[in-house]
Amino acid sequence: MKSRSRRILAACLAVVLIAAGTSQCVFLLRHPYFRKYAAQNGISLREAREVWGKPDRDAEQILGMIVEAGEENWQKVADLAARKDLHNEVGTYYYNLANAMLGRLPDRLMDYYQPFERGLFLPVGPGSTPFKIACAGDVWFQLGYMPLAERDAMLGLLFSPEHTGSRYLRRLAETNLVTGDYEAASKFLRILLNSPADREWAEQRFPDRWSPAYELRIAEKRQFLPRFDMVHGMEQAPVALRILLSSNAANHPALDYLLCYDLLTKDLDAFVGDFDPSLTRSQLYEEAMLIFLAAKGGMTADNLQHYHISQQTFERFNRFVTLYKRDNGSAKNLTADFGNSYWYYFYYAVKNETK
Amino acid sequence: MKRSSTLPCLILALLLLACSRPYDVRPCGPDTDRTTFIFPDYTEVTIPCNIAPLHFYYTDPAGKDFATTFSAGGTSVTLKGREVVWKEKKWQKLLQAAAGNAIEVSSAWKSNGHPENRHWLLQVERDAIDPYLTYRLIEPGFEVWDDLEIVERHLENFDTRIISDYRHTENKCMNCHIHAQGRGDRSMFYLRGEGGGAILNRDGRLRKLTLKNEAMISPTVYGEIHPDGRFGVFSTNQIIPAMHSAGGRRMEVFDAASDLCVADFDENRMLVFPAYSREDVWETFPAFSADGRFVYYCAAEARQLPAEIEQTMYSLVRIPFDASTGTLGSPADTLWSASRRGLSVCHPKASPDGRWLLFTVADYGTFPINHPECDLCLMDLSNGQLIDLTLVNAPKSDTYHSWSSDGKWFVFASKRGDGLYGKPYFCHVSPEGKVSKPFLLPQKNPYFYNQMLRSFNVPDLGNAPVGFDAAEIGRIWKEVPAEPFE
Repeated sequence: MKSRSRRILAACLAVVLIAAGTSQCVFLLRHPYFRKYAAQNGISLREAREVWGKPDRDAEQILGMIVEAGEENWQKVADLAARKDLHNEVGTYYYNLANAMLGRLPDRLMDYYQPFERGLFLPVGPGSTPFKIACAGDVWFQLGYMPLAERDAMLGLLFSPEHTGSRYLRRLAETNLVTGDYEAASKFLRILLNSPADREWAEQRFPDRWSPAYELRIAEKRQFLPRFDMVHGMEQAPVALRILLSSNAANHPALDYLLCYDLLTKDLDAFVGDFDPSLTRSQLYEEAMLIFLAAKGGMTADNLQHYHISQQTFERFNRFVTLYKRDNGSAKNLTADFGNSYWYYFYYAVKNETK
Repeated sequence: MKRSSTLPCLILALLLLACSRPYDVRPCGPDTDRTTFIFPDYTEVTIPCNIAPLHFYYTDPAGKDFATTFSAGGTSVTLKGREVVWKEKKWQKLLQAAAGNAIEVSSAWKSNGHPENRHWLLQVERDAIDPYLTYRLIEPGFEVWDDLEIVERHLENFDTRIISDYRHTENKCMNCHIHAQGRGDRSMFYLRGEGGGAILNRDGRLRKLTLKNEAMISPTVYGEIHPDGRFGVFSTNQIIPAMHSAGGRRMEVFDAASDLCVADFDENRMLVFPAYSREDVWETFPAFSADGRFVYYCAAEARQLPAEIEQTMYSLVRIPFDASTGTLGSPADTLWSASRRGLSVCHPKASPDGRWLLFTVADYGTFPINHPECDLCLMDLSNGQLIDLTLVNAPKSDTYHSWSSDGKWFVFASKRGDGLYGKPYFCHVSPEGKVSKPFLLPQKNPYFYNQMLRSFNVPDLGNAPVGFDAAEIGRIWKEVPAEPFE
């Protein structure tokens, strides 16, 4: 009797364990990025579910973009973003970053949800959520502005559940390797060295052990570093971008970010000041220039040529204006043909401050 | 049955043991934050006769067979291993044997098979240090914070006590705790935000105060309590955070305006003075002289910031203080002229014995913790001479200092090494003005600082425990309304 009840007990236990294991496996299969993101933040899956709750499909998509962006798999980020336009600031932020790194930010900017400048730079301050703060430095690291990349990594670490997330420690190590502050970098490399999951990564980044590929990566990053010191406000993205461009005019992602920032904030005066048609071209920029030229009475052949505005874009703009006037400013008949034009954004996008 | 279940556990344990590695000491050497053969670097330092055991480790990654021999007064102790960790009684016995003299230390190990030897001294001073140190533990933040704690450490051992923290205050911001003249029963700090105020510990009694009136540009920020306890002198500051684009200074913080004021803790009054509330002059970092008859502070000509940040330099000024009325008087006596020296002074602190004035000097500005060039500077108040602190200062920021109650020791926060995290270092000052090489606050775990990701902010010495704890502060934060000041 006794051994039978033991067997039943063991069988029940096995069923429970198998069920729990199966449930865990199913969860992991359905949420691989949640698991990776939790690991990068230095917590177990169970802790992550306690802290962040169970992720839904949208959250998994955003976490996927974050994780893939961390590994600089830009096409994967873009593919994930394209699955569904989540109308989410963080989602747009990573989609924009991926498109910038793939050299197509202005060409794709109007194809998906743009929460004004918050899709380019996530605000960092007492009112920001820890989740957004933790993501905010990724764009600065890619554009080459290490002071803000480091600041946001510090804050990401500050808000990671155990204050030890390897995602932020790695970034802190690397920003300092790029700026040449090896003393600061060694602090973070040493901590990472004590984590089995990060040991190899850290060892490869000791300055005397860099591979030729990593040396090249650092050299490329250093080309984009600001060449002069200037003190500026904490949330002055355009100033930081202009510093980057003054230091290296060939920093195309920074240039696109600056121009897109001007356009998303509808600051056409700033855009015209920042836009040099000899450096970059895009349909988006043509469309923006047409609004400016029309408003300033500058629709001359010379200007159209100078700003590389094609005949096709010019004619399309005229059609937009005609319909706009005919319908007294109503968007009703413009959405289908012009919904992804800058003109449509300029006239109809309304900033939702609470979003 | 029993045997079969124990065996796998044993194998598993052995496997785990085999896989586990000690703390990795790399990277070390030039261009890292571990440039010396031991960390913390306790070679040739001067320590007080009542300090906790100095635990350290050898940084040589290729080293093995480490042996460290300490000899003093006929006593000799040899500790083997990379980590030098003491039994407390043995350490105390050695300190007693060496008081007033040096401990001779011999370090020997093999590096890649080659023998290595170092001989160094630990000078043990008979002057005991105030046994309590308070500090705020904070991650380097930029306008935001999380999980702040103010801790009191017993310097004679490794005991710590949390005296205010995020757990009891719903994660409120709290500023650093300062003692008055090193007294444990007289101190203050700020709890910011809703329910907050200045927490004043006056002769062991706690009060929560709103140190602001409508004539002031902000609540009080930097300041000190008068030796008599009735008054406090403070600055009010409009503080603006900003970023550097390059050059390793990271964050800059400057004042868009700042004035001086006095708080009367007996009458609940704030005293403001037109002469020290001028728009064209910024005054900050006030501190009392040891006898309470003067106030030292820093003053700069108002400028357009951040554009003129590099031209913003603060002079060190002294003015009379009337302890019967709480009045800031005149004339102002400039002890250090910023325009003449081309440098900027911050944080003057007078030693409680009246002999010394310790302050920091940076290239410019008013927030030197991110200025690597920021150094400590010591003035002998008996003759106005500056003392050479070459042995004390490091190529990273050295600042936020405080004195022991007898004026024989000071502590400061240094970012030497990684440049990011402040750590408390202690120095002895002899009557002749000889300042010893600083030593780092010892910790139980010799690898403690390797894993530490928080700064020891504003370390402050006290001769006795402060007598309150985080739970009491939490209760005051929740239940006690802040006393208004007129």
